[in-house]
Amino acid sequence: MIVVPCLLHGKQLAVVTDTANPTTNLSAAELIKLFNAHIHTWADGRPVLIVVRDPASADMDLVLRKLFNMTPGQARVFIEAHKPSIIVAGSDDAVLRFVATNRGAVGIVDLYSLTKNVNVVKIDGKLPVEQGYLLRGN
Amino acid sequence: MKSFTTFIAASLALSVSAWTQTVSHGEALPLSAKSTEVRQLLNQAWILDSDQVEQAQAIEVMRKVVRLDPTFAMGHEILAQISLDPAEQVSEQKQALANRGYANASEQIVIDWFQNAADHKLIPAITNMNDALHQYPRDRWLVFLANSWLMAQTQYERAATVYEHSGITDSPGLINNAAYTYANMRQFSKAYALMDKYVALMPQDPNPQDSYAEILRMAGHYTIAIDHYKVALTINPQFYSSQFGIADTYLLMGDETRARQEYDAAFKKFPSLPELDCIRWKTRQATTYVYEKDFPGADKAFQSLADYAHAKHLSQVEADAYRQMAMYQSDNHQAMALLTKAESALRDGANVSVINAHQETAQILRTRVQVAIRAGNSLAADTAAAKLAELSLNSDDKVIDSAFNGAVGAHLFYEHKYKQAIPHLEEDDNSPLSLKLLAAAYQTTGYFAGAKRTQETLANFNDPSVEQALVVPALRKCLANPTCNVGMKDAALQIKH
Repeated sequence: MIVVPCLLHGKQLAVVTDTANPTTNLSAAELIKLFNAHIHTWADGRPVLIVVRDPASADMDLVLRKLFNMTPGQARVFIEAHKPSIIVAGSDDAVLRFVATNRGAVGIVDLYSLTKNVNVVKIDGKLPVEQGYLLRGN
Repeated sequence: MKSFTTFIAASLALSVSAWTQTVSHGEALPLSAKSTEVRQLLNQAWILDSDQVEQAQAIEVMRKVVRLDPTFAMGHEILAQISLDPAEQVSEQKQALANRGYANASEQIVIDWFQNAADHKLIPAITNMNDALHQYPRDRWLVFLANSWLMAQTQYERAATVYEHSGITDSPGLINNAAYTYANMRQFSKAYALMDKYVALMPQDPNPQDSYAEILRMAGHYTIAIDHYKVALTINPQFYSSQFGIADTYLLMGDETRARQEYDAAFKKFPSLPELDCIRWKTRQATTYVYEKDFPGADKAFQSLADYAHAKHLSQVEADAYRQMAMYQSDNHQAMALLTKAESALRDGANVSVINAHQETAQILRTRVQVAIRAGNSLAADTAAAKLAELSLNSDDKVIDSAFNGAVGAHLFYEHKYKQAIPHLEEDDNSPLSLKLLAAAYQTTGYFAGAKRTQETLANFNDPSVEQALVVPALRKCLANPTCNVGMKDAALQIKH
């Protein structure tokens, strides 16, 4: 006996940077440009290093749908074409480790994987826990 | 009533198992209990709560722990998490915080985690949890707490990751929890394998059989589920949740008459149930009439429940009975009158915490929006939605936010603003009513994979609630009919409307 519901799983994803990165907020347009590799450096001049989960993962399905209107196959081709500035990690923990230890790194992880070793960046002024945040959904 | 559990079954482990991975501290989270007696009681509480799911007994043991060691902050924290009494949950959380200074650094992180969660500071709560897990990934009670908390947040993938990283394979309580995690992810083969193990570890205990039954029921294997419930009752005829589980299963099978007979038999056999359990099953018994579309019968049963709650001075239960009655009324004036009764009952405020009163208010307002939409009364829908928005803005509470998003999503959907409705409906993913609209909105906007996934989720819903009764049986019937395309049909109907 344990009482649990049987549900779709609502996801909240967090955009994370290293703790030395002074960026606290990105607009949705800036976020798309950043992950489309159209922005190559941060405001302080450091190169942008992007780390993402496998395009076939559930989290990336949400990102691709909400931000890029891309299929996982298209995303793979895009990532391949933009190595080494885009890196694919096997788990949220790996994304977090990479971001925590590389200045200029930015990644997207499940909110519930967050650690204190990274900064959470607002999108359009909103944190992942706030209503209307972009990277929430099924 | 809340649609998900508000308590977290916590537990304790003091044993040390062998592992060699590099973590910064020892293997088991150190506990600052003062005496051997307290430590033994903690271990007893772990077994009762996590392995045997004898929550009432576990709670009694934890009460003894904090009586013997009143400055043991983690003892208060654990009691706060396992208690089934909302007032005790609040008072024990306060005690945990008040005695935080006596706790060691690791215990303080755990106390901060739950205090931040109680204060609706979700991001710090998550980082506290992960900080503790990073230090003690194989501490069985920490893993159990995290798994239970994440399940309550419907974060099943993360819960599964925490369990898998722990490497713990010999704890019956964790195996039980993990099985439910996988079942909720609809990975039933993993869930069954864990259940086989749970049964093998505790062959003389009824709970493994009861859990197995519930998981089989989640997968839609009703007849085998009943067999497992019966085995549980053979092991312990007093294990009442299995007796009621049989009734719930008949309800989900669509045999409402048999379900009512089973509820009657169970209430007769167990006349002095804990109050919350009694109300839960009285509600389900009333719901059988909604499944059957016998609405006069449902009115009578829900009114009886409301009267019972009124006599017992349980304001929220009384309000929720009226709210549920409003949901299935075909006469919108009658529905609104019932919602007014619900608000009046809630205003009495007997035996209800502030947060529960706010959550119930949100549910009532959400139902007001739905009834107003149904009646074509945009002004009433806007008024209720505005009140709900204000409540949501000031609360940062998942139940209230879900109610708000469900209401706004429905409102936008019926205005044919499907793209705008989607993000709101996605935020209310516990509700069959919202999921039904979400599937149609996905379909209408061309997101066919999402529509299919949402329909499948809905069709596999096995929660004996009024919301399910109003949506799922019709959907299953439609899905079984090759000529019926639920999403397209719904969307087409709404456009016509």
